[in-house]
Amino acid sequence: MAGVFDLTPAIAALPFASFVIALVVGYTAPRLLPKGGAIPGIIATGVSLALSAWLAVTVAGGETYNETLYTWIPTDGAAVEFSLGVLIDPLSALMLVIVSLIAFLVHVFSLGYMNDEGETGLPRYYAGLGLFSASMLAFVFASNLLMAFMFFELVGLCSYLLIGFWFRDPGPASAAKKAFLVTRFGDYFFLVGVVATVATFGTTRFLGTEAAPGFPHLAEQVLAGEATVTTFLGLGAEAWFAVIGLLILGGVIGKSAQFPLHTWLPDAMEGPTPVSALIHAATMVAAGVYLVARIYGFYALLPTVLAVIAFVGGFTALFAASMAVVKREIKQVLAYSTISQYGYIMLGLGAGGYVAGTFHLLTHAVFKALLFLGAGSVIIAMHHDEDMWKMGGLKDKLPVTYYTFLAGSLALAGIVPFAGFWSKDEVLYEALAHGLGNSPLLLGAYAMGLVAVFFTGFYTFRMVALTFHGEPRTDTAESPHGVGWAVKAPLVVLGVLATTVGLLNMTPVAKLTGAHIEYLHEWLSGPAATELTSVHHYANPDTGLLHDFAGYAVGTAGLGETTLALAGAAVSLALALAGAGLAWRLYAVPDPAEHTDRLGSAKTVLYNNYYQDEYQVWLAEHVTVPLARVADKFDQGVIDGVVNGVSSVSLFVGSRARRIQNAVVTDNAALLTLGLVALLAALGIAGGWF
Amino acid sequence: MAVDMSYYLLLSAAVFCTGVFGVLTRRNALVFLMSVELMLNAANINLVAFAWHYGNLTGQVFALFTLAVAAAEVAVGIGIILVLYRNFDDVDVTEATTMRW
Repeated sequence: MAGVFDLTPAIAALPFASFVIALVVGYTAPRLLPKGGAIPGIIATGVSLALSAWLAVTVAGGETYNETLYTWIPTDGAAVEFSLGVLIDPLSALMLVIVSLIAFLVHVFSLGYMNDEGETGLPRYYAGLGLFSASMLAFVFASNLLMAFMFFELVGLCSYLLIGFWFRDPGPASAAKKAFLVTRFGDYFFLVGVVATVATFGTTRFLGTEAAPGFPHLAEQVLAGEATVTTFLGLGAEAWFAVIGLLILGGVIGKSAQFPLHTWLPDAMEGPTPVSALIHAATMVAAGVYLVARIYGFYALLPTVLAVIAFVGGFTALFAASMAVVKREIKQVLAYSTISQYGYIMLGLGAGGYVAGTFHLLTHAVFKALLFLGAGSVIIAMHHDEDMWKMGGLKDKLPVTYYTFLAGSLALAGIVPFAGFWSKDEVLYEALAHGLGNSPLLLGAYAMGLVAVFFTGFYTFRMVALTFHGEPRTDTAESPHGVGWAVKAPLVVLGVLATTVGLLNMTPVAKLTGAHIEYLHEWLSGPAATELTSVHHYANPDTGLLHDFAGYAVGTAGLGETTLALAGAAVSLALALAGAGLAWRLYAVPDPAEHTDRLGSAKTVLYNNYYQDEYQVWLAEHVTVPLARVADKFDQGVIDGVVNGVSSVSLFVGSRARRIQNAVVTDNAALLTLGLVALLAALGIAGGWF
Repeated sequence: MAVDMSYYLLLSAAVFCTGVFGVLTRRNALVFLMSVELMLNAANINLVAFAWHYGNLTGQVFALFTLAVAAAEVAVGIGIILVLYRNFDDVDVTEATTMRW
């Protein structure tokens, strides 16, 4: 069955082909391109989806793939080999399916959102989507850190292009720039991290062979005293690895919109809504946390970095959820909830819950794509007005949208048995159990995550109530625009998934009944060939990396694992229901009022997003700009001064020396003769004639 | 009667220096050409003298080539002088100073 693995590059190559078609045909012969390029994109992502599914089935059959396809700089002579390759293990196979599924559905949805609304510049739009899908898929199956970095940058570029799709308006143009700059700031650290990895380990492969292990395994051997590597800055191996881990984490924080680099994501909502669904909720933002999961074998060695990840995650979860509470635009609520949910994933990964984090990544991709597409459907119906206070009562007019949106919202709020409940609960359980074990610091992150559950329930049902319930508050909401099949079909698919995907890994039920129904856990345990990237290797309670190196252990405070899991689930469910219930009581009335005034002075702070933008702009204006000015002075004055000085000397000498060339043949001949004589004399002296 | 080699070399050097002197001091382009001929022929004397000295014909053959080249050079030189005369109404080389920086 090597056949399907050989086709792996096609998963990324097909969307890339659709990008090329949309761009070339779209601009040279637009008439040959029906639907502005949507058709090639749909076909390409559809085939990618089929191939990914086939891959997943093959991986389920116990086969994996880890090959170098193209060596860019070979080892002979150089110390490090740079190559492009493919690594298919359970994690990447799962992620490929998610990404290609959502890319496919978003392409279909775009028919309804972009084509039917008569947008112009569609080839550009579909070219962007195609390039994005290609880069994201290639990022997912990348076999080494450098290749991952290259595609990481490409998805960032696509994000910029698509946020700025309506570049003639000032809002999207500036939001695109902001997204690009903020994520670039994080990626800068990532790049330094890649260089540090190369310098330290001499390889960037995620998973190597017995003779040439990948860098996470090499790091493990070093810490176990079985190998040595060069470290820098006079640090010991563990401290230096922590530095590398934190540098790479910089890219993760930027891309996954974690505090303090989360400010770009709410602005990114200026882009078309399907783009928000694909890029800024379900896939690209997932690239950051996926990277953490991808090199989890490295992070699991570093308790300090894990604690940082958990704290950043827990804090972001709470922080973003509190801002989502007061937002007026439906997409803004979703944007902050995305930031918050990625916080949960980080919390899960940082707390040692590899399966939990991956599980939440999976469920979140499904239900957040669903919510964004649902919001897109509402926005079509509302003639592109996003203000929830102008909606209301859409429940009866958009039944398909309503019920699927409700499924997504229940999943987001974490109400049993929808997807989000199972995954979020598992994240919180991991944090709690490891916190009660040897790592009491995690309890702080757990507490923040738990409080965020209440806010999540509140803002989610505030959004549902304001959008769909009560009386219509404007004429547009009274008679909304209908939506077509291209909008409804993806919603239904995702709605069904958001309801059921949580059943993949029902940990509390498994603990209670003893049944083996933790399918995702088994899936990520994977075949023996990729043992080193399996959950078994990471999180085995007795021999896993988390136990041996990070010192994580499960503590139960004397309750027993089952009781603790159930108690944790009950608490978070109760909080979610309390939040949802409060929102429901306040806003699901025929004529809801704004209750934000009750927040007092907190209202202003929340409306201004904790002044995050303000302080970042202040930093840029009062620290970066003066610094840049000094650097510019140095560049213009010293560096350019030296260059200009040297050149002005030679210009001056030249202007004097050229006077010799006065075009009088006699003088030329005299100079020639003198030159010859001088040459002869010099040769004579050197040769010892005299 | 064998003439000593050094006489040939002295003659050649004298002719060559005469040529150089002509190039450096005269202003008439035609005299220039003649001086250049002198220098070429000084070289020819050397070639022939050494050929004779070593009993080898190569130098003599080479001198014939030099003559051919000198003839070609004169043809080109005269052409240049004609153009010079047309443009400057004179064959004074110090007048034609437009081709500078």
